[in-house]
Amino acid sequence: MPVMTIGEAIRDALRGELARDDRVLVFGEDVGKRGGVFNITQGLQEEFGEERVFDTPLDENGILGMATGLALMGLRPVAEIQFIDFIWPGFDVIASDIAKYRFRSGGQYGVPLVIRSPYGGGVKGGLYHSQSPEAIFGHLSGLKVVIPSTPSDAKGLLTSVIRDDDPVIFLEPKKIYFAVKEEVPAGEHTVPLSKARIARSGKDVTVVTYGYMFHETMKAVEALVQEGIDPEVIDLRTIVPYDAETILESVGKTGKLVIVIEAPKILSVASEISALVAEKAIDVLDGPIVRVTGWDTPFPYALESYYMPNRTRIIRGVKKALSLI
Amino acid sequence: MSKETQTPPSLKIQPFTEEPIRFIDDEGRPVGEGDPAAVLGLEDSHLLFLYEAMVRTREIDRMGWILVRQGKAAFYISIGGQEAAHIGSLYALDPEDWVMPYYRTEPSLHLRGATLEEIFGQILGTNTDPSKGRQMPGHFGSKKARAFVLGSTVALGHVTAMGVAMALKYRKERQVVISYGGEGSTSEGHFHSALNFAGVFQLPLIVFIQNNHYAISVPRPRQTAAKTLAIKAKAYGLPGYYVDGNDVLAVYAVTQTVVDQARAGGGPALIEALTYRLDPHSSADDDKRYRSTEEVEAWRRKDPLIRFRKYLESKGLWDETKEQELRERIQKEIENAVEIAENAGLPDPREMFLEVYADAPPHLLEEMQELLQEIQESRQGGK
Ligand SMILES: Cc1ncc(C[n+]2csc(CCOP(=O)(O)OP(=O)(O)O)c2C)c(N)n1
Ligand SMILES: [Mg+2]
Repeated sequence: MPVMTIGEAIRDALRGELARDDRVLVFGEDVGKRGGVFNITQGLQEEFGEERVFDTPLDENGILGMATGLALMGLRPVAEIQFIDFIWPGFDVIASDIAKYRFRSGGQYGVPLVIRSPYGGGVKGGLYHSQSPEAIFGHLSGLKVVIPSTPSDAKGLLTSVIRDDDPVIFLEPKKIYFAVKEEVPAGEHTVPLSKARIARSGKDVTVVTYGYMFHETMKAVEALVQEGIDPEVIDLRTIVPYDAETILESVGKTGKLVIVIEAPKILSVASEISALVAEKAIDVLDGPIVRVTGWDTPFPYALESYYMPNRTRIIRGVKKALSLI
Repeated sequence: MSKETQTPPSLKIQPFTEEPIRFIDDEGRPVGEGDPAAVLGLEDSHLLFLYEAMVRTREIDRMGWILVRQGKAAFYISIGGQEAAHIGSLYALDPEDWVMPYYRTEPSLHLRGATLEEIFGQILGTNTDPSKGRQMPGHFGSKKARAFVLGSTVALGHVTAMGVAMALKYRKERQVVISYGGEGSTSEGHFHSALNFAGVFQLPLIVFIQNNHYAISVPRPRQTAAKTLAIKAKAYGLPGYYVDGNDVLAVYAVTQTVVDQARAGGGPALIEALTYRLDPHSSADDDKRYRSTEEVEAWRRKDPLIRFRKYLESKGLWDETKEQELRERIQKEIENAVEIAENAGLPDPREMFLEVYADAPPHLLEEMQELLQEIQESRQGGK
């Protein structure tokens, strides 16, 4: 199996779907000649032509409106938003059209489209090249939210969301686009949606995470294991609709829950999972639920390293959950 | 920046020209009748002031690139090649007027009284940044300089500048507001809302578009099928001016004309300045992917600084000795400012929790304590 980074695996998935299905179109700002500002779509325009891979004007509203119309007509648009922080000029299309089309038309119409976008911090991008707004999208019933954390999942999940009949926002952890490498299945590779992955099984504490934070969590776990703590790590993968079953099963075993995300805490995915477990499994819990998150502030530039949750903060969180501190 | 200039009544600048308005050509030679300075009512001291401001802007820009190469700045986004379009237009404003910058405007804002320590503090994210290192380089703002603080969303400034203009009108102020953006910004809805409202309410707003031919890699024809960007003003009932953005005198003349009109209650205007970005989009870009070296080199020969210098030389106002002296003086100013900015240090981590709201709510104070404890523990942990 070829070894790939997350960025390469995403490109591989796009290439695979462009080749397999001529309904697939890839477009956005700078995705053509430039190959995207993160080089993700590099070479795709040469390979598949300007009719299928093309640059748009600088207008997210236009990009998302175009994607919606194409999807209504049975095509499979994969629209790139250059940074998730710049999606807001097109938010009306997402909140009012994309998320609600199937429901409001009584199932007559669907909009099977994918919005791909880099998200998250750790690249010294300041307020507007660092945010993690997955919860905002997750709150719009009708839209799926998917976040890969490994190259294999990046390829498999992206392939699955392109084939999925619902609209999906696919958030790519930009800090680790080219930082993580692993063997990725060649050829067709799909990963089921709404299925979390148990990345490490353990008996002492359940840690739920996703995206770049998955990797920080694994670093923390290494240290915790040295101290005789045995965590179970769940990579959520699909944020909405998420895999409650896997989480509840794990907490049933460990009795402890920590959620690690980089977004702010208030009304976050971490809050949702805490509520799920509090509602459905309070009887098996034997310690406080702990949310390790970004602070409830805009994402700062100079103080970035103090903002992002890291190994140390995760270790503290796990120890709090175990009532060790 | 004391200047008591107004466009002479004899000067007639027309909107919606087919070709960009110019006063000097690529070789610095006057275009049309008479000496442009005389036509514009500019004295020698004004001309020298403009040149010095452009050179200072260029030198700040160069230092920005150096700081990235030295690993001191994480990012830089350049103004190189667009100095005339910025300086010529800023020069037409009074100190009381308002500026909505875009990310390339930063180095030119010294003209508004922003100090070089402040500008380099912003680029380095240190304590001399009026915005406390909260944003990436390129996002300079200063209330003292009457420059608003931009976010990164392209075109967003246009629509808020429109609201500022509404406030000025409501309060019957004589000030105007100028909003900068690239040609890419004309594709966003914000641009259209700004022009539409400004036309309906006859606001003292000038939207100044720096058409530098590219939005990152996307060439100008991918933004609009319209022949010029200036023409877009027509549909909103405003005048649109098409000007050679590498001719500082033409930029000044056009901007001063619309500023005078807006101040007199004549309403808004759109300006398109045709220019070129000489460097990659930013320190994160590779422009070889989408444009040829020959194309860039051809525009280097139309460098607005070289062009204006030739004009000054032809008037006997400038020579190599003066050039050397000026560059050295500015270099020293800049090195000194960088040192001050660097030594000012990074903001205190506590700063992160302040100014999210006017008063920090309890949950943020709690998070602040959590971070302080974390910092203390990691220090004790021997790191
Ligand atoms: C709404 C939005 N979309 C995308 C971006 C990413 N981006 C930053 S600058 C830029 C190109 C802007 O081009 P233009 O307006 O022509 O200005 P220039 O950089 O050429 O001066 C893009 C796409 C952004 N900042 N905001
Ligand atoms: Mg441009």
